[in-house]
Amino acid sequence: MAKSKEKNVARANYPKLYDHDPLADVEPELRARISEMETYIMKNCLWQFNSRGWDRRKQNAGILGKTAQLLVGEVVDNPTPLDKCHWVDAVLLARNFKERCLWLADLGADEIRSIIEKLHARIDWLTIDGSLNEELTVQNY
Amino acid sequence: MPYHEFEVSKCIPERKMHAVVKGPGEDLTHALPKGYLNTIPGTISERGCAYCGAKHVIGTPMKDVIHLSHGPVGCTYDTWQTKRYISDNNNFQLKYTFASDVKEKHIVFGAEKLLKQNILEAFDAFPDIKRMTIYQTCATALIGDDMSAIAEEVMAERPEVDIFVCNSPGFGGPSQSGGHHKINIAWLNQKVGTVEPDITSDYVINYVGEYNIQGDQEVMLDFFRRMGIQVLSTFTGNSTYDSLRSMHRAHLNVLECARSAEYLCDELRVRYGIPRLDIDGFGHKALGDSLRKIGLFFGIEDRAEAIIAEETARWKPELDWYKERLQGKKVCLWPGGSKLWHWAHAIQEEMGVKVVSVYTKFGHQGDMEKGVSRCGEGALAIDDPNELENQEAMLTLKPDVIFTGKRPGEVAKKMRVPYLNAHAYHNGPYKGFEGWVRFARDIYNAVYSPMHQLSAIDISKDDYETGKGFVTRRMLSDAGLPEEAKASPLTGYTGKFDPIPDLRQKTYPAFERRVAPAVAE
Repeated sequence: MAKSKEKNVARANYPKLYDHDPLADVEPELRARISEMETYIMKNCLWQFNSRGWDRRKQNAGILGKTAQLLVGEVVDNPTPLDKCHWVDAVLLARNFKERCLWLADLGADEIRSIIEKLHARIDWLTIDGSLNEELTVQNY
Repeated sequence: MPYHEFEVSKCIPERKMHAVVKGPGEDLTHALPKGYLNTIPGTISERGCAYCGAKHVIGTPMKDVIHLSHGPVGCTYDTWQTKRYISDNNNFQLKYTFASDVKEKHIVFGAEKLLKQNILEAFDAFPDIKRMTIYQTCATALIGDDMSAIAEEVMAERPEVDIFVCNSPGFGGPSQSGGHHKINIAWLNQKVGTVEPDITSDYVINYVGEYNIQGDQEVMLDFFRRMGIQVLSTFTGNSTYDSLRSMHRAHLNVLECARSAEYLCDELRVRYGIPRLDIDGFGHKALGDSLRKIGLFFGIEDRAEAIIAEETARWKPELDWYKERLQGKKVCLWPGGSKLWHWAHAIQEEMGVKVVSVYTKFGHQGDMEKGVSRCGEGALAIDDPNELENQEAMLTLKPDVIFTGKRPGEVAKKMRVPYLNAHAYHNGPYKGFEGWVRFARDIYNAVYSPMHQLSAIDISKDDYETGKGFVTRRMLSDAGLPEEAKASPLTGYTGKFDPIPDLRQKTYPAFERRVAPAVAE
């Protein structure tokens, strides 16, 4: 593996995606379903809480993106060790969602993708864009 | 923002932003205390210093090393007996502590000569030990002693020794967490990549942020070895100095205590491309999922499942026995840092207790994000509390038991609230499937201790009842249970007093390698 000590300080300038809760106007039934998934993640998972905002963005996108793929039965490609790491968290998440959110079985692929997209937006809001954590933008580890 | 103001801290208004109560419908964007800030003047903090965080928490668990503090002998106090990070080499790092014993005259004339003399004497006194760590303290940092230059001199004179220099004086951060950070980065910059390891498995990990408190690391190592995984190094519990120099060759960093060691994992990811996988070694579900994730990463999930099935069958019934008897007991989860989130959800789900408060002495806002998420509504979350705030919280929340360190723990005992040692444990290890039952056993013993109940009787008065007094924990815990539960043939934990010696004797199956070892390995 290549050894590189160079740090990209510009990484801290990740763009803000949301300036308010992206689920604020979602209809109550759908909101309740997303809350079920959100609660599971916040109580059982750690991947969404990397210490820096840019890492959280990558973690959320990587794991929830692969979770959606797994839930709709797509083949997941893991070309790098980091992808593989995202994939193992996604596998566990997809299994737990299937076990707990029985309503998922009645949804089509597009509906599942859409609901995970909204979940992703909500997790990004809670852990990055709406977060009160003042250390997310510190440029070094 | 649902900040909580303590009555006792009204004279320190800044403290208000360091405590919150998450209310109904609120989330992390509403409720998060400030954290990892300089202690506010006037509040008597319980925090350790940055030197303590670097040396006593992270450096000293390395087992084959002379750990030398360059400073007054008092700085070494916490090294002796007060830590429980054991090792399988007869606890060398706990039995012996070293300091250069700096006095006033050295502050005036410099202490570099003294340091060199101490280094040489220490190596001469322990000729089998060839590795050393040196820790800066406030006094020697202020006089500008160049420890690195002295270390280089000694290594040039004695090529067989290797010395790591840690510049983390006590004032080097708001709390001990500043020292965690400094030693992480210093180790990476100075030592990682300087030893090439012998790779013996297709599956190679670093186990990071694990300090072998009462044998935790050895419990987890047992699982990894049963899966055929080579643990290249543990950062740092029960680990050797040279194994930690070879961390760059692992395939995966498995991170346990993110608070104390995530910096190292993040930098290993950036510099060497080794991914970071966060795990929870506490709690049956969390531990099972953690082993599954590591198994999935390497394509050996079946090995993880076999362990989970065997361990769950053995220990789950005993855990459930305690859960039935601990239902609804109120807990203040007041550890130093990471355990507030490692334990908050798992103890509620698997032991039936209710977490009414979490606090952290040196945690960051990231720790509180995890902790507040994992608690229910109404839990009081406090950052860097002072003793008076702790007392007020105990009086208002009326917990049945407190998990905290020995200093606030003794205060709790005087207030007649039982406490368990969250840092060093009472009767650990607490990691692993069996360890989690040991923790439940300790909670049960604390909550239902007849001695504790007796302590409530004021024997200076004449009107206490002398005719009744004999009770057992079981009589207390089973009083309100249904008959079926009372009739359970189980009696709680049935493991050994100390499970670690057996683990040290254990042998493991050899797994055939799928990939032929490369010549360079």
